[in-house]
Amino acid sequence: MALVNLESVWKSYKKGRDRVEVLNDISFRVNSREFVALMGPSGSGKTTMLNLIGGLDRPTSGVVTVNDVVLNSLSSGKLARWRSESIGFVFQFYNLLPVFSARQNVELPLLLTKLSRKQRKKNAALALDIVGLSDRARHTPARLSGGQQQRVAIARAIVADPKILVCDEPTGDLDRSTATEILRLLQILNQEHDKTIIMVTHDPKAAEYAKRTMLLDKGKLVSSLLQSEVGAEVET
Amino acid sequence: MTTFGFLIKSMFRRKLLVTLSMLSLTTAFLLFILLRSVAVLFSGDFASVSDVHMQTASKYAIILLLPHRYGEEIAAVEGVRAITFASWFGGVFKEGDDSAMTFAVDPSTYFEVHENYQISSEHLDAFLELRTAAVAPEAIMERYDLEVGQKVPVTSSIFPNINGEPWTFDLVGTYSSENEVEADYLPFLFHYEYLKEATGVSDVGWYTFTIEDPEKASEIAHIIDSKFENTADATKTMTESEAMKNWMSQIGDIGLMMNGIIGAVFFTMLLLTANTMIHSYRQRIPDLAVLKTLGFSNNKVAGFMLFESLLFCTTSAAVGIGIATLALNGIGPFLPTGFVLAVTGPTLIWGTSIALGLGLVIGLVPAISANRLVIVNALHTK
Ligand SMILES: Nc1ncnc2c1ncn2[C@@H]1O[C@H](COP(=O)(O)OP(=O)(O)OP(=O)(O)O)[C@@H](O)[C@H]1O
Ligand SMILES: [Mg+2]
Repeated sequence: MALVNLESVWKSYKKGRDRVEVLNDISFRVNSREFVALMGPSGSGKTTMLNLIGGLDRPTSGVVTVNDVVLNSLSSGKLARWRSESIGFVFQFYNLLPVFSARQNVELPLLLTKLSRKQRKKNAALALDIVGLSDRARHTPARLSGGQQQRVAIARAIVADPKILVCDEPTGDLDRSTATEILRLLQILNQEHDKTIIMVTHDPKAAEYAKRTMLLDKGKLVSSLLQSEVGAEVET
Repeated sequence: MTTFGFLIKSMFRRKLLVTLSMLSLTTAFLLFILLRSVAVLFSGDFASVSDVHMQTASKYAIILLLPHRYGEEIAAVEGVRAITFASWFGGVFKEGDDSAMTFAVDPSTYFEVHENYQISSEHLDAFLELRTAAVAPEAIMERYDLEVGQKVPVTSSIFPNINGEPWTFDLVGTYSSENEVEADYLPFLFHYEYLKEATGVSDVGWYTFTIEDPEKASEIAHIIDSKFENTADATKTMTESEAMKNWMSQIGDIGLMMNGIIGAVFFTMLLLTANTMIHSYRQRIPDLAVLKTLGFSNNKVAGFMLFESLLFCTTSAAVGIGIATLALNGIGPFLPTGFVLAVTGPTLIWGTSIALGLGLVIGLVPAISANRLVIVNALHTK
């Protein structure tokens, strides 16, 4: 059974009187320990799809099943709890809380667990160590570079040890070499820590780090290719 | 980090703004406690004042005088035992001071009616003997540094002396009361006859008398007041405790006014802090969306906002009340004896209730908004 399973998912938003169709009949699966890149033009519905998988939003119709849980049927409270246990989020603009230090930002999701204060602190330090930022633990986001902030955000996403990471343009705001570092980090998390990763990106170079690339256009899934096939596709 | 630590740090996100807001709320609570303590003082009941003593004064105002002949008519009413009278003299002992309690009385009957006053027979005899004699209570002796045997110059704006000089009384004795509270409000007494001769005044301020049966007080009051009802000098008769309450209630209006001021202060504070809170909520929408993304539930995030506003208000209240208590303790020794300014239980309960109420009201809008905040929209606005 696939870890993430979307079945005939439709999503539309109301804008005043109009309905904006964002996702049209999307079906796809992501297996455990996959690293999937999601590409497509701006406004094609990538973020919307990620939000559905991450349990931040619900489909208008269709079924979203993640880790054997049908998200449609969960109450908002249960969905919140599920998010805290099952999903790690990484955003383009890091979304760290400005008054808190790197370690405190990372520790935040653990406030929802039963871990002791000491254990929380330890786990946060460990997560920071994994992303290579132990020496910046006490810095606030304003004193960190973009790449460092994104590392903190990644540490925050993995600290509760979720199976899945959803990343929305994690390198969109970073220069090439910093972006490469972040992508390598995600790759390590995928390969060595068994995280299933779904990453939205505009950058074909970034997509190369994934095993599979899905292309979305105007709310429709137009192709899903293994990384080895992407090159061939371009050639033909 | 604990959840509490997290909340505190979030709250002081903008240190200066929050600190200043808290300071102004603290000041409001300080003001509240101080004003209320004074109001409590003003409305304090003189429970120990007797119901055997009754008083007949002008119906319209205590400063209006009553005809001298009323005394005999009141004395004739059944159930009335001993009667005496007094006139407000408004004596000033020291230039620039307010007038002190100074009554022109009939010495021979005054102490008969006020049997709870204690005066040695020696001093009473001396008082009765000399037309210019006066007796003073401890409180006044102390305040103006008087001694038995000296001459006391006193001026009065109500009854200026004919030659423009101060009145001079021979202080021949002192007296006191068993009742401690009353002891601080005893008047300086001198001969009504002396005043009458010098100024030609023949009316009196009020009559005080004792009755045989306190149960009959209202009946007797009714008989007396209806006697003079249709004259130019209509009367109002009350027991002394009623009179005291009546007098206090006039000052009590000040208490009411103070409560009004307090109300206005808090209303302003409500608007100001509600504004601060809503502002701070708006700024934090992205952070709240992140918290929700991480798995904090709608109710939890709403709870954070409510907790914050409650903490904000109760901390301000606690500091304000604390400072007020210290201030009142500091003022205490400088007050006349009998005056007690202290933070009372009811005032504390009021303060706490206001703090909690204010916190709830102020926190409500941010809490509800936080609860309803839709993650994808909030993240979208970024
Ligand atoms: N919360 C929302 N309310 C209304 N409309 C929305 C909302 N979120 C997205 N949309 C609309 O849905 C469409 C797809 O948006 P989405 O953010 O998923 O695109 P995207 O592929 O992530 O684009 P980009 O590459 O620019 O991030 C857009 O037309 C957008 O205006
Ligand atoms: Mg997007």
